[in-house]
Amino acid sequence: MSAVIDILSWVCIIGGVFFSVVGAIGMLRFPEFWTRLHAASVAESGGMILLVLGMCLQAGWSLILVKLILIGFFLFVTGPTSSHAVANAALVSGQNPVVAKKAKKKRT
Amino acid sequence: MQHHLILRVVVKILVAAIILFALYVQFHGDFSPGGGFQAGVIMAAAFILYGIVFGMAKVKQVVPEWVVHRMMGLGVLIYAGCGVASMFLGYEFLNYNAFTPHHPSHGQHYGLLIVEFGVGVTVTGVMISIFYAFASRPPTLKDSDW
Amino acid sequence: MTETILTLILFAMLVAVAFAIIQMRQLFAVVLLSSVFSLLTALLFVIMDAVDVAFTEAAVGAGISTVLMLGTIALTRKRSAERTRSDILPFFVVAVTGAALVYGTLDMPNFGDANAPANAYLRQDYLDRSVTEIDVPNVVTAILASYRGFDTLGETAVVFTAGIGVLLLLGGLAYRRAEDDEES
Repeated sequence: MSAVIDILSWVCIIGGVFFSVVGAIGMLRFPEFWTRLHAASVAESGGMILLVLGMCLQAGWSLILVKLILIGFFLFVTGPTSSHAVANAALVSGQNPVVAKKAKKKRT
Repeated sequence: MQHHLILRVVVKILVAAIILFALYVQFHGDFSPGGGFQAGVIMAAAFILYGIVFGMAKVKQVVPEWVVHRMMGLGVLIYAGCGVASMFLGYEFLNYNAFTPHHPSHGQHYGLLIVEFGVGVTVTGVMISIFYAFASRPPTLKDSDW
Repeated sequence: MTETILTLILFAMLVAVAFAIIQMRQLFAVVLLSSVFSLLTALLFVIMDAVDVAFTEAAVGAGISTVLMLGTIALTRKRSAERTRSDILPFFVVAVTGAALVYGTLDMPNFGDANAPANAYLRQDYLDRSVTEIDVPNVVTAILASYRGFDTLGETAVVFTAGIGVLLLLGGLAYRRAEDDEES
């Protein structure tokens, strides 16, 4: 049973690391603000959830599990909120997605 | 002015949790990492967050300026008063054994709690009032200049 | 071993962030990078088992001071001024100070050295005595508030004084003046 839990938790942790690294590469490589935001939120939500889940499986039934769940909950709430705030601020300050220009051209 | 609806809702949840955590750090500081300094900063962070999202007028309704200014001095007074109290009980300054002479470690416990509370009050007051001082001045930068 | 590697990586990131801060002219980015700097420092403190310090660093350095510095930018301007004078004198001062600091570290005991002055004399005493005298599991709190209570009283007074200084500089007490004017 413990072997199964170990394997599951490692799958989760490696998946989380993968998403985090992909998000980081995306942050560096993507051309403009909105795509970068997209990459950041991959690391932020996907990576974070999987990492915390993997650690929960490692922790077993203990106080650490409760703390991890609390941490996961707060990251789960605050991460998307901060993404939203950043996107909102960018939209207000007049950052327009690059793709939208092409779409507009086709329409007109 | 319902523009930042999501932020407002999330901050309302978070502020309560942050204050609870600050109290935990404050009064559980003798069992787990933490103490007055940390708790004061975390407590102040809760009010600063509230002030950023809901505006200065709202947060000044919750903790008016005169309250935070008095908190700054009150904390030092609590701390020093604890020391003076132990002097009046016939012990050295800040020797907490004075509070329960028959059981010194209990007195130390009370002393720690009171003293840390004083530190927490001062730090909270200082942090919030510095934030008020910065945020209450009319900014020279316009929002669009950032 | 893992700890050493982690520490090295974190120190490398600290240096990289420091260089990035020097390069930036955009003050907004400087503020955010210094918040990152504080967070990395807090992580280093956690690795060195100084959880109390890490706590403070994360809350003050990464949290509140970022907000205060952003507030300062809102009161001043968003780009640092272009340098007009030559860089040679500041560079010289920084290089000499840095060399002196590095020379000073040569005399410092290794991290966690049992014979270091900080560990040799009082530490064992505190650890032994606090169990019976204070009976508090967190020895840091016991030392901070009881054995060195006078120190901490001074620290609290320093925080208080610093707060008053900032208020006087920024006119945070202005509302009182207004009240006084109304009365008189």
